[in-house]
Amino acid sequence: MAVTKKTPQLSDERLVELSLDGDEGAFGVLVRRYQRRLTAFLSQLVGDMELARELSQEAFVRAWSALERFNPKYRFSTWLFRIAHNLGIDQLRRRRLLTTPLYRTDSEGDEVEVVVPDLDKDPLGHLENQALASELREVIDGLRPEYRELVLLRHFGGLSYQEIADFTEMPLGTVKNKLFRAHSVLRKALTEFL
Amino acid sequence: MIRGEAPVATDCQTIQEILTENGGGLERLDGAESQHLEVCPDCREVAAAERALGLLFARAIPPADRVVEERVLAALRPARIRRRIVAFLPVAASLLVALVGAVMVGGVPGSGILGLLPEFSTQGWMAFATSVSDWGAAVATGARAAANTLDPAFLAGAGLVSIFGLVGVAVTALRWRRVSLWRDDR
Repeated sequence: MAVTKKTPQLSDERLVELSLDGDEGAFGVLVRRYQRRLTAFLSQLVGDMELARELSQEAFVRAWSALERFNPKYRFSTWLFRIAHNLGIDQLRRRRLLTTPLYRTDSEGDEVEVVVPDLDKDPLGHLENQALASELREVIDGLRPEYRELVLLRHFGGLSYQEIADFTEMPLGTVKNKLFRAHSVLRKALTEFL
Repeated sequence: MIRGEAPVATDCQTIQEILTENGGGLERLDGAESQHLEVCPDCREVAAAERALGLLFARAIPPADRVVEERVLAALRPARIRRRIVAFLPVAASLLVALVGAVMVGGVPGSGILGLLPEFSTQGWMAFATSVSDWGAAVATGARAAANTLDPAFLAGAGLVSIFGLVGVAVTALRWRRVSLWRDDR
């Protein structure tokens, strides 16, 4: 059975099965389903929209090439985001070798790396309200790394709490607790925009 | 903190955690939690802020990019060829194992085929058909000859290797068929 644009309601699991049977149309549905969120997640992770597009493309190609090794007892979304996350982290490591990171102290007294945005490649550049974009960028970058990753997965990757727990291999309760704390910081910092 | 006299069975943090998880939506609150919300301005404030935060993040996600989708789908084509090659490797390995086992038992392919096959001529295919027949005869003759000269345990082992290889061919070919060029149902 070849999947067409008329059958996007199939589950991820079924689409993976069809893709394994060589149906590129099925994989195309998965690409359409996840491309936007994956690119949004990566753009926040690496701070560069164009690079995020490239990494997103690479993540899909790697997923397609390694589909036989995908274990169906896990969620496709989690697996795909892990591939993308690893690509993003590799990219950041490579970049770190070429630059000297700057640090600042976050709201809880910990040192966090300052990401200086390149405004031409700004992941939030599409927002009309530049004051909001600037504030949001600052708040997200200022979050503790453990909170930041969860916020990116939740709000840019669109993953559920359970998917985040699977992705991070944290207990669900820990994810809930950390996101609750992260949201407290976000609500306080973004008050004027809420 | 609750301002009011209504009795409540839940605390603010539990409710605010639920509100955070559900983007400020009230659907997941049970009766007691909804009752709590009615009398607790702090929790109501969190619910409203979470809804606004959800909308804010929704705006922060860049719009879908058709160009990226098209680039991804175009990039799948070379990967498909790699997938086919990688999927064929176990089939080739199993064939090799089966052939080695057959040769060990005594089956020797007809000599004419090896020289003619690359030419793909009519003569070559005729020779191939003859060789298949020769090969069957050679297996039987070779097996009889080998049975007289070789250790029976060695022969049994070689037979097992060949059978193992053939089973491997069947199993891996089924898997390979999924991505092979010879699929007829697309």
